[in-house]
Amino acid sequence: MLKVSGISKQFSSGHNKVSAVSDVSFQVPEGQFASIIGKSGSGKSTLLCLLGALDKPTAGHIEVDGQDITNLGDHALIAYRCRKIGFVFQSYNLVPNLNALENVMLPMEFAGLRRTKRKARAQNLLDQVGLSGDKQRRKPGRLSGGEQQRVAIARALANQPKLILADEPTGNLDSQTGKMIFDLLHKLARSENTTIIAVTHDLEVAGKTDLTFRLDDGKLTSGIKYR
Amino acid sequence: MSVINRGVRNAFRNTIRTFSLVIILGLVVGLALTMLVARRAVTAKIDSVKSAIGNTITVSPAGARGFGGGGNPLTADNVNAIKTTPHVASVTASINDRLDTIGANTPSFGGDSNSTGTTNLVSPITPGSLGRRFGGRGNNSNSANFTLPITVTGSSDPNSTQVAGSNQLKITAGVSIDGSSNQHVAMVGKDLATKNNLNVGSTFSAYGQTITVAAIYDAGNTFANGGVIMPLAAVQNLSGQVGDVTNVIVQVDSISNISSTVTDLQNKLGTTADVVSQQDTSNQALAPLENIKSLSLYSLIGAVGAGAAIILLTMMMIVRERRREIGVLKAIGASNLKVVLQFVSEATTLTLLGAVVGLIIGFVGGNPVTKLLVSSSANAAQTTGMNGPGGGGGGGRLLRLAGQGLGGLRNVNAVVGWDILLFGLGAAIVIAIIGSAIPALVIAKVRPAEVMRAE
Repeated sequence: MLKVSGISKQFSSGHNKVSAVSDVSFQVPEGQFASIIGKSGSGKSTLLCLLGALDKPTAGHIEVDGQDITNLGDHALIAYRCRKIGFVFQSYNLVPNLNALENVMLPMEFAGLRRTKRKARAQNLLDQVGLSGDKQRRKPGRLSGGEQQRVAIARALANQPKLILADEPTGNLDSQTGKMIFDLLHKLARSENTTIIAVTHDLEVAGKTDLTFRLDDGKLTSGIKYR
Repeated sequence: MSVINRGVRNAFRNTIRTFSLVIILGLVVGLALTMLVARRAVTAKIDSVKSAIGNTITVSPAGARGFGGGGNPLTADNVNAIKTTPHVASVTASINDRLDTIGANTPSFGGDSNSTGTTNLVSPITPGSLGRRFGGRGNNSNSANFTLPITVTGSSDPNSTQVAGSNQLKITAGVSIDGSSNQHVAMVGKDLATKNNLNVGSTFSAYGQTITVAAIYDAGNTFANGGVIMPLAAVQNLSGQVGDVTNVIVQVDSISNISSTVTDLQNKLGTTADVVSQQDTSNQALAPLENIKSLSLYSLIGAVGAGAAIILLTMMMIVRERRREIGVLKAIGASNLKVVLQFVSEATTLTLLGAVVGLIIGFVGGNPVTKLLVSSSANAAQTTGMNGPGGGGGGGRLLRLAGQGLGGLRNVNAVVGWDILLFGLGAAIVIAIIGSAIPALVIAKVRPAEVMRAE
């Protein structure tokens, strides 16, 4: 369960304070796929940063799996990001000189998993996202955009996180590949019982998620839509 | 794959940059090692020359040298003043006298007659043209029974090689005498003993007294082997020069204290004594080597600093390039320490590769560069010495002192040992650590949220 209670985030811009996220509250049950839609600058990515503990809110609380992450110290935040959060980025952000398998093994190394175990799990995850055989040994530069995003999804799932945060996961892909990636995320959310929150511009994609939130100027303006 | 392995692999992400950086670092480390090799070789040479010169100071009556010149002898008070001077480790006081052979014509080397006593001994040294030329006035140097006087030295330390004016003093028969006694005993040179059929226990006459031969010595040169060494007090009393000293050899506790001790002695003794050390001469001659030593030290520091700056700037550039990647690593659970270690590992790999190239350069170039530096510096010093005021100095004098030729000063052999190689590796690690320190701080400040904003 993800529970967000009245979180706000303000930034200083010169002498002024800009409110990127303002008093946002919502809940997402475990294993649900939620989308956040909104215009550019509406605060979607900032909200994702706050949910992923990449930044701290100015006010409010975020509970993930019953734990309030807004009160965690730096070390605990690193452990939280490592074990409970998975990120999928629009531009994949794979490490270019590591092959697909090594990229997926990376979060497990940070979590302290033994090499043999992390290799087996990485291979399994890559198989699940449809990347098998020789392609697992390829570096990102020799994979297509869709394949790179599959590797990114496998990496996000590596430590069996409670929450996957996806920032425009289909933004750099053609519509057909984007649909495949979206379906993959949806399938994995169910099979791994992982909550997924995806920021997207694509209303068609958003329409297929379990929940949809709309952000306007940092505020949650439209109600929750259940499919 | 561990953090370290990832850092090592990252070092080869951009092969052109890596190759260029390794070559530049190699040149820098090579320069540092070459300078270190040169510095050590030159330092060893300087030490060897200085140790050859020794840490002695000679104090003699002002205006007197041996049996030449004039002035008044040093007194017991002067000797005591010398003994109480700081850094003076030991003092050997001597008095020199000459004994005329009874019934022979002996030359006078100064006054009308500077020999204060007579002996039945005959000098083993053939007068030759020099002895006859220095015979002086009032003597019939052409007479058939012309002989040189016998040099007798009274010393507080009869075993000192410097008393015999030689590099060695080996007792070949008998036992050494006690320099602090007043006994009428003597150590005689082996040539004098042979000439006069003297053995241990034999006696001869001097100053009208009977002297017993306690030992026969070999000083390794003809002049010293024709002399007699006796206790200081015995010679002072027999020659009627009680308390007088004509030569004091001062041992200083360290070569580095010679200059200050010379100054102290000059201040204490004033115009009564000439205080001479060979260090001034050696310093003048060693100046080119000292210059190389300083130059190599500055170059060494500069090279290590330049290496650190190169790796620092490179790592800063790499960190800026990979800012997003750092953010991603942090976002997926890497701690600051792990990310910093990865970059330190990368910097260390680059630097060690540079160090390997540098070691090869240092190994190959150390000796030739050292020789080139020494040669050009010695040439410059020679030219200055010949043309400048008071020229003719440095190199030649030093080389005589050190018992070497001009080639000896230039003959500096640089050796690249294991310690030099270890220094090279150590310097590389220091360069890597310094070069990574600031980038590490930058890495620690990169927030994963900034990367998300850039999406």
